[in-house]
Amino acid sequence: MTTAALRDGPPPGAVLVAGVGVRSAFGAGLAALTEGVLAGRPAFSPVTRFATDLRRTDLAATAAGSPRLADQLTAVLAEADALADPGHGRTPDGGADEVLLALHGDRRTGPVAAEVAARTGLRPRVYTGACVAASTAVADAAALIASGRRERVVVAAGYLVEPDTFAVFDAGRALSTDGAVRPFSLGRQGMLLGDAVVAVVLESATALRRRGGNALARLAGWGRTGDAHHVVRPRPDGAGLARAVRSALARAGAGPDRIGYVNANGAGSKLGDRAEAAALTLLYPSGTPPVSSTKSLHGHALEASALLEFAVTVGVLRAGRLPVNAGWRAPDPDCPLELVLDLPRPAAPELALTVNAAFGGANTALLLAPA
Amino acid sequence: MIPTVNSPSTEARSARRTSDPPLRVLARAHWPSSPGDQLPPIAGFVVSTFSPLIAEAAERCLRLAYGPPPAADAPRTALLLVSPTGDLGTADALAEAVAEGHRVPPLLFYQSNPNAVLGHLAARWQLDGPVVALGPGFHDTRQLQEQAALLIEDGDAEQVLAITAVQGPPDHATAVLLAP
Repeated sequence: MTTAALRDGPPPGAVLVAGVGVRSAFGAGLAALTEGVLAGRPAFSPVTRFATDLRRTDLAATAAGSPRLADQLTAVLAEADALADPGHGRTPDGGADEVLLALHGDRRTGPVAAEVAARTGLRPRVYTGACVAASTAVADAAALIASGRRERVVVAAGYLVEPDTFAVFDAGRALSTDGAVRPFSLGRQGMLLGDAVVAVVLESATALRRRGGNALARLAGWGRTGDAHHVVRPRPDGAGLARAVRSALARAGAGPDRIGYVNANGAGSKLGDRAEAAALTLLYPSGTPPVSSTKSLHGHALEASALLEFAVTVGVLRAGRLPVNAGWRAPDPDCPLELVLDLPRPAAPELALTVNAAFGGANTALLLAPA
Repeated sequence: MIPTVNSPSTEARSARRTSDPPLRVLARAHWPSSPGDQLPPIAGFVVSTFSPLIAEAAERCLRLAYGPPPAADAPRTALLLVSPTGDLGTADALAEAVAEGHRVPPLLFYQSNPNAVLGHLAARWQLDGPVVALGPGFHDTRQLQEQAALLIEDGDAEQVLAITAVQGPPDHATAVLLAP
């Protein structure tokens, strides 16, 4: 395979989404997640897992109780059928199947990865790169499959709302204090955190056909870029994010007009949303396709957020309805987007785009198509 | 000084596979490079040596290749960080403040992820390729080479600044500039 082939048209070995397992504030499974986001009711409620009395908000989108991350990761890997039929993702050196695993980096990272390895037999390779950790892992997985290095790659990600990240995002004044996440809206204040534990199995069309499996969707394109602008702030003109989308479109052999839905990064921050809107305006100077940020519903799951939004995008493609951008109050002239407001919108996108942006000016774009 | 390499041709990049010869090392630097080596601070990063460690190893490597910043003639360069430990200094400072009910310093928010120091490097040196931070599971040189080769072959980068960093004691980091 040549780079030119990847850029000029659909890759000869299509990359398919063969399985999804998910836990979020909307419950267990892709159906519950899809139903939850299409219902349009934000899942935020007061946190009960730990004390929040020293923080400026007590809200997050959490599942019930205090689940253990390794337990949840093991469960979603089984649900995605990532543990069946071992050997398809085997590395050239004959090692165990890998799981590209996006986790927040702290003293818990290594033990969680080790427990997942012990319980699943998968060999974790950990991605810690903030809000693009999981989407970078998806892009790497797709590249491994499209280049013929692997037939199947498992990607997983997990973040469960916990006191340290809650405290540091509060200290950075990144959390909304008015009870909602309001992406691209005038008066937006910031993000709220949310649980997400997700596993996705990506597989070549040839391998999936051989084992008689059914695809949930096709990963048509992917792109990753950097802004070269600032430690944590996005480039205001959105050029880096727009380049990531163009890279994904080139791999898909498609133009921007083929995208019928954008699942935005839209964390509800003033600068981030403005830069993302600038990126989409660069791509669509005459008006964007329908856009929503489902972080307004399920919260921001940090290193796991991109894989949750990937799962949401798979779900809405299959449902034929686009979720709302909740929390929106009034138009921001700096965010001239065709937002899905009030009610889910029936649609059958040829391609759906999910974009993510992170500290360090890291950008990713993933393009999904119906199977 | 190692001369700047031109962007490799598409044909050359597309032909790369992991079975190919390893990527060329255009420059390599370490911290520490000698006993008593000092670690310069970076403005805005506090408490932990992790980000300064990465920045200094990368700075030394990039200066060997390009002289002082920015790397004006560099082809599209990805920043690839591998750290089996991560930023333990920041994580521990945060966990301690939370456990003891102390005020959490706002600066810890900005350095709470390793992407932040990569953003510092990307902005300072004007490197706009992918920004990737990896943790446990990418331990050896072969895996680092494979990740770098994958980014190049896949087309989002033409060369890769690959940094490995371990927060000890002892702290140590290596940065290599890799190209086809």
